[in-house]
Amino acid sequence: MSSQKEKNERYEQRVKNIGGPEHDKILDEFKNSLHSEFAAYLNTCAHCGLCADSCHYYLTSEETENIPAYKLSLVTKVFKHSYDPFAKKAPRLFGARSLDKKMINEWIDVLFGRCTLCGRCAINCTMGINIPYLIRAARGALASAGLVPPGLQSTVDTALDKGNNMGISKEDWLETIEWLEDELKEETGDKQAGLPIDRKGMRLLYTINPREAMFFPLSISAVGKIFYAAGEKWTFSSENFDVTNYGLYSGDDNAAGIMSGRLIKALHELRCSELILAECGHGYNSNRWEAPEWLKVKYDFKVRSILEVIYQYIKEGRIKLNPELNKERVTLHDPCNLVRLGGIIEYQRYILKKSVQDFVEMFPNRDKNFCCGGGGGQLAMTRFAERRIKAGKLKAEQIKKTGAKIVATPCHNCIDQLMELNKHYKLGVQIKTVSEIVADAVVL
Amino acid sequence: MLVWFRYGVILSAVLSVSLLIYLIFKTFSFSTPKLNAPPSGSKKKGILFALGRGMMPWEKESAKKHLVTYGAGIFYHSGIFAAFFYLFLDLFFVKTSSYTDSIFIVLIASALVCGLGLLLKRSLLKYMRAISSPDDFISNTLVDLFLLFSLFHAFGFQVRIFWYTAAILLFLYIPMGKIRHCFFFFYARILFGSFYGRRGVYPPRQPSSYE
Repeated sequence: MSSQKEKNERYEQRVKNIGGPEHDKILDEFKNSLHSEFAAYLNTCAHCGLCADSCHYYLTSEETENIPAYKLSLVTKVFKHSYDPFAKKAPRLFGARSLDKKMINEWIDVLFGRCTLCGRCAINCTMGINIPYLIRAARGALASAGLVPPGLQSTVDTALDKGNNMGISKEDWLETIEWLEDELKEETGDKQAGLPIDRKGMRLLYTINPREAMFFPLSISAVGKIFYAAGEKWTFSSENFDVTNYGLYSGDDNAAGIMSGRLIKALHELRCSELILAECGHGYNSNRWEAPEWLKVKYDFKVRSILEVIYQYIKEGRIKLNPELNKERVTLHDPCNLVRLGGIIEYQRYILKKSVQDFVEMFPNRDKNFCCGGGGGQLAMTRFAERRIKAGKLKAEQIKKTGAKIVATPCHNCIDQLMELNKHYKLGVQIKTVSEIVADAVVL
Repeated sequence: MLVWFRYGVILSAVLSVSLLIYLIFKTFSFSTPKLNAPPSGSKKKGILFALGRGMMPWEKESAKKHLVTYGAGIFYHSGIFAAFFYLFLDLFFVKTSSYTDSIFIVLIASALVCGLGLLLKRSLLKYMRAISSPDDFISNTLVDLFLLFSLFHAFGFQVRIFWYTAAILLFLYIPMGKIRHCFFFFYARILFGSFYGRRGVYPPRQPSSYE
């Protein structure tokens, strides 16, 4: 605890004493991250303001800093100051600003503290500007000067140092799997049932969010049970099992590449043919869509979400489900990184409709869904916790309106945030992964 | 004297387009990202969606929630394009019928009303002022002046010198300020469609709704 406090104090001091070298570093990194698409976007915003009430931050707190166009303008101003031949000559007239100390502070507060990179503003932008990706580029520039807020940076550092973001040792990981395996054997009544580790030549390499091992072991058991029922050939890696990638949120492409690269290494070492990503929104976006760009490689294997795999099992009749085993009303929260930014939209719906008796959508849903407030690294940045809970109010209201007793969501970050919202807004619901619900309906 | 203004308009238009082309070259002087992740949807379908259905109020919450602003934006931009066309017909001595003139009058007049409305909105609403710079107000004002004199001319008033002056000022300002978004808009929409199309998000496979 004191170490976290010390980190915070050091960070504050660092921000306070930012000088010329940091400015240059941030600006250099920002320039390096720009490509023609970003440059085009940065010339496009007409400040129409229609994005304002697409953002859950603005809808729950009408502060100027919460307007997506305002957030974007912080990036655009610096871009104009560096690259726009006219704005350079008349910065005030054209709204250009240098990346000075004040601007860096604003970048930290607004771009880290008032955005979950959910992308809802982008789909509502008149022009179609990819606002979260531009904000991420600016975050990356701050990361190059060590200015990522401490909680988020610690998560990245732990993942880089220990191999997973919770710092779980190999010994603890193996021990957890061992007792979960015993429970699976007991539940299935089959001594051959198992949670294989480092088994070579399997079809699937399955990954987890380390929070599952620490706090939600039922999620791991659930997938184990589904794989068992489907007769799947699969394995975990004892070394590289972490699907999360907080480099996506800190904007640090190098760190993000290292994390995703480990999963690829594990897949190759274990000679598996598919990388299966656990129910983790940003883990999916990172490893399915972004990692090939961070690493500049084309994968020689398939990457799928566990939801796609379960969908396939149901379609092919490899698992049998009895929805009567899940009688209570279930609704679904769409994680932004998986749905709006990942394209995994219908699988979870199909799966839930086959697994529960009473499934209801919340509105809006799918690509138009509201962020729960837990993305963008917000859960790791305690300094912005109050805003995060406030921004989650819309999600709480959406859930209330459905009358559901269970909220399913294929993302552990969302689960953490929804659990806090559940408590804060007294929703009285249970929060589960999709796999947990499927496992409850599986007929062995 | 008028002939000099006429040349002035043509020259400023050429200069404007040249500067915009320069800006586009400058934009593409940055590297172009090459994507390695295999697509799960169609870029082409995504782009078609982005340029069509994806801009409709039933697909886009911001348009649905702000129908008046959305409609004003459509009329404003349609009228601006009509006014430019009208100006070029005049510059090159193309005679128009009274029927064509009345179409121009309707388009330009509605654009002017919408433009003034949008300017008023930007001036009066706190959140709009917060996201605006002087450029936003100057851009809108220059366009509105150009529309106003286009309209006067269409009604037969002898305002050519003012009309041409407004056009010259507008053309010279276009590449400098935010009006350049008219050049980048289509490219941005294509990028949007391409991004979400590749990822299999758009076009949506199942209808999603707001309520």
